[in-house]
Amino acid sequence: MSNDRYHTVGKSILRRGAKERLTGNPIFCADMEPENALYLKAVRSRHPHAGILGIDVSSAMSVPGVVQVFTAKDIPGKNLMGIINKDQPLLAEDKVRSLADPVALVAARTPGAADLAAAAVSVDYDPLPAVFDPEEAMAQDAPQIHAKGNVMVQKKVCRGDVTAAFDKAHTIIEKTYRTSAIEHTYLEPDAGIGFPDEDGTLVIYASTQNPHYDHKEVVSLLGVEDHAVRIIQAATGGGFGSKLDMNVQGFIGLALYHLKQPVRYVYTREEAFLATAKRHPFVIHMKTGADETGRITAMQMKAVCNTGAYGSYGIAVASRAAVHATGPYAIDNVNLECTAVYTNHPFCGAMRGFGTPQMALAHESQMDLHARALNMDPLEIRVLNGVKKGTVTATGQVLTDSVGFQDCLTAVQPEYEKAMKGWLSEPTPAYIRRGVGIGGMWYGIGNTGVQNPSTARVAMDREGQVTLFTGCADIGQGSTTVLSQIAGEALGLDAMDIHVVVADTKYTTNAGATSASRQTYISGNAVKQAADKLADVLLTEAVNYLKIRKSDLRLENGRVFDSRHPEKQVAFSRLAPRILDKGGELSWQGYFDPETVPLHPDTGEGIPYSTYAFACHAACVEVDVLTGETSVCRVIAAHDVGKAIHPENVIGQICGGVAMGVGFALMEEFVPGETISMNDYHIPTAADMPCVIPIIVEASEPSGPFGAKGVGEPALIPTAPAIINAVTHALGKRIYALPASLERVLDASIASGHFNNCYQES
Amino acid sequence: MGAQNSDNNAAKREGMTRRGFIQAMGTGAVGASLSGAALAASHGNEPPEKILSAKDTVKIHLHINGADRAVLVEPRWTLLYVLREVIGLTGTKEGCSRGECGACTVLVDGIPRYACMTLAVEAQNCHITTLEGLMQGEELGPVQTAFVEEDAFQCGYCTPGQIMSVHGLLEKTPRPSMDEIRIGVSGNLCRCGAYNNIFRAARNAAERKIK
Ligand code: FES
Ligand code: FES
Repeated sequence: MSNDRYHTVGKSILRRGAKERLTGNPIFCADMEPENALYLKAVRSRHPHAGILGIDVSSAMSVPGVVQVFTAKDIPGKNLMGIINKDQPLLAEDKVRSLADPVALVAARTPGAADLAAAAVSVDYDPLPAVFDPEEAMAQDAPQIHAKGNVMVQKKVCRGDVTAAFDKAHTIIEKTYRTSAIEHTYLEPDAGIGFPDEDGTLVIYASTQNPHYDHKEVVSLLGVEDHAVRIIQAATGGGFGSKLDMNVQGFIGLALYHLKQPVRYVYTREEAFLATAKRHPFVIHMKTGADETGRITAMQMKAVCNTGAYGSYGIAVASRAAVHATGPYAIDNVNLECTAVYTNHPFCGAMRGFGTPQMALAHESQMDLHARALNMDPLEIRVLNGVKKGTVTATGQVLTDSVGFQDCLTAVQPEYEKAMKGWLSEPTPAYIRRGVGIGGMWYGIGNTGVQNPSTARVAMDREGQVTLFTGCADIGQGSTTVLSQIAGEALGLDAMDIHVVVADTKYTTNAGATSASRQTYISGNAVKQAADKLADVLLTEAVNYLKIRKSDLRLENGRVFDSRHPEKQVAFSRLAPRILDKGGELSWQGYFDPETVPLHPDTGEGIPYSTYAFACHAACVEVDVLTGETSVCRVIAAHDVGKAIHPENVIGQICGGVAMGVGFALMEEFVPGETISMNDYHIPTAADMPCVIPIIVEASEPSGPFGAKGVGEPALIPTAPAIINAVTHALGKRIYALPASLERVLDASIASGHFNNCYQES
Repeated sequence: MGAQNSDNNAAKREGMTRRGFIQAMGTGAVGASLSGAALAASHGNEPPEKILSAKDTVKIHLHINGADRAVLVEPRWTLLYVLREVIGLTGTKEGCSRGECGACTVLVDGIPRYACMTLAVEAQNCHITTLEGLMQGEELGPVQTAFVEEDAFQCGYCTPGQIMSVHGLLEKTPRPSMDEIRIGVSGNLCRCGAYNNIFRAARNAAERKIK
């Protein structure tokens, strides 16, 4: 892991914006209050499924302090939103499809008046039968949620001959797995403010993961020209996928359009829970066959996921789930299918991993079941099946470079063996049983088999000051720092010496979403390309100035110098005016789109991603057989990230992913109508946090900026399966549904006899 | 490679795991709400003679970050609302307004409290410290500096609350053990999962303060 050849890449420099976050300055939307701002409040549906016969706003309008109440008919443009399929109205028109659906929007002078008026809006509903279970929603006579039917999409990946392979298999294992709906629970509830600027542009500050998408959507809702709306990303207090959807932005745009007056909308925690996307709950039927050596030869997988009332990112979740079903293993014969179904559940969308964490529970449980059937060690069976250079994936893609899965397995092995030999046999109280489990994962970087380019601009002014313009939303993961490091490396500058303009649709071009762990790889490449172009212009002018050939010149500390005679040098600030005066260009645009091939609709054949991240976690758990309480003591987490541009950031992502994985494994479950806030939705606290041993593996990716891939979502994916496998190891009884709550673990403890044994002894 | 820390089973049994946290909230054990009566007693306040309606305003005195402030408040307003919306101190964050997240943690007479679970009138005459009060002029104070140094946050939204909890802990326990740190911040959720670095930052801050 030598970073010496790099100037700033590979160094954990102070993160950009670090100090600003700790002074109390108003940087989040809820901290900003434009003068005379009106307060907005959405009126939400009272039924999970109902026709709307009429909406009466007269009594709401008579509440003192109310300025306006809007309904769907006030939307001047197209009342439909959705990044992949447009099926979600900003305000309901003829029907509501879930309890989260907004039917009207109040603008008032005080929050109290907004609340009173929202309660006074009277909607005449015609209740319809509702369906919440996706398998039931697929039945012929199920209530129809959208005109085009309840099956939103079905994604398939087939390769080889599954039937023949199962016929020949030595062991076949077939199981059903279930996962729960998950609420992202970012600490900052969704918020935004808006105001018209001097020339009438509607300016919206939003807590968002994708300002350029928000811009497109607000423009379309309002039916206005592009330049009439400007979206600026405010500091964003976490997103994890949920802030990819439009939350308050559309409401703010609508009110601004009509009232031309500053407005403010901050969700309460309850509204953030009710009205924003969830992680898709899955039902996964998985069947795998292995030969007598433990090599997996066939997999059949049928999954149904609940996308709720609207599509959001559901199509991406379904295709990613199908593509990732095999896990990081070479399986020649596969038949994989994932169906996303509309129901009256609040809508589900993107959440850290897009269906991959759900799949990982299934494929990693199957791996352990095969290992057990053949009396193999769980690590050994993964080494045997794990992908390597040259492996052909389920979509027919040959993995050629940066395939670090085996390295991850090797990296966890010493700690894993120590735990298996030493830690497991340490004495514990009779009611505590220990277990060790492994989880593996792979994750394609960027969107699945579709174009998802990023752009960036790097510009130098006359004085030689460099500014990076990027549309990439930093939501806490540190992309602004990483992108500055990449630009700095290309230009021989310290990252902090580069000015940045970030995520403002007036000044930056589209970088695509902060999702799919794509920004370091895709936007990183766009930034690098722009910076390389600027560097080349500087070098060219330096040749002229220094009379030295280009290949001998280097950039460092704001100057160009002769690598053989470093005293021969010229500062950027001297070169910049010379270039400009000759009519040269100092502002350069970069563009990058990963090389992919769209997947065939029937077979899934194609190249979904140009590169993959890999990881392996080993979890050590203690289970209280009398209470069902599981403590995760230690997680060893090895991640192949290609190249860690900012190692501390990578470690931060890994530890944060583990925390979220602990929640997914053991405690989190969103139940619509019941889960109101963190009081009934439990996320891990400091005391639930295991000791994490992060291990960075760097299998350099030739197409990545300085070899980098991504880590944001991979960090979370292997944790839950590793914990479930560890709990199974401890109890000798497997849990097939997440979360492995107290009740489920206790059931397993009772079924395995440990509860009784311990209870009788004591 | 950093971010390694010792195993922590003992602490977990005693500390606030998620479930313990929730149970304790009900009884106010995790420094949440101040009981009005207890506060009034501790400050010798007589119960108000006039029965106020929720809409009436009363003038109260708060000592915030060393400065005395007189503010007109409605009796139902929380300290969080008054700090953020009336006085304009945005360092204290709102994550839930229901005593479930810790983003609003401030010190009331040196003790970490959830400002969303404390009525402003309850904090009458108390010494309140918010994140802004930890600044040393334009510079960050020792706990804040430790958080920067240990990279103890990602999005930064929970961070003011974490810092106030650590600050409160160190005021009482200048040399906290790992378990005490863990318990000290277990009333502050961090969804970005920066917990391990927060523990390190607390240690770092303790050393800075002792120096
Ligand atoms: S805002 Fe006070 S505890 Fe969440
Ligand atoms: S840093 Fe984001 S919630 Fe703690």
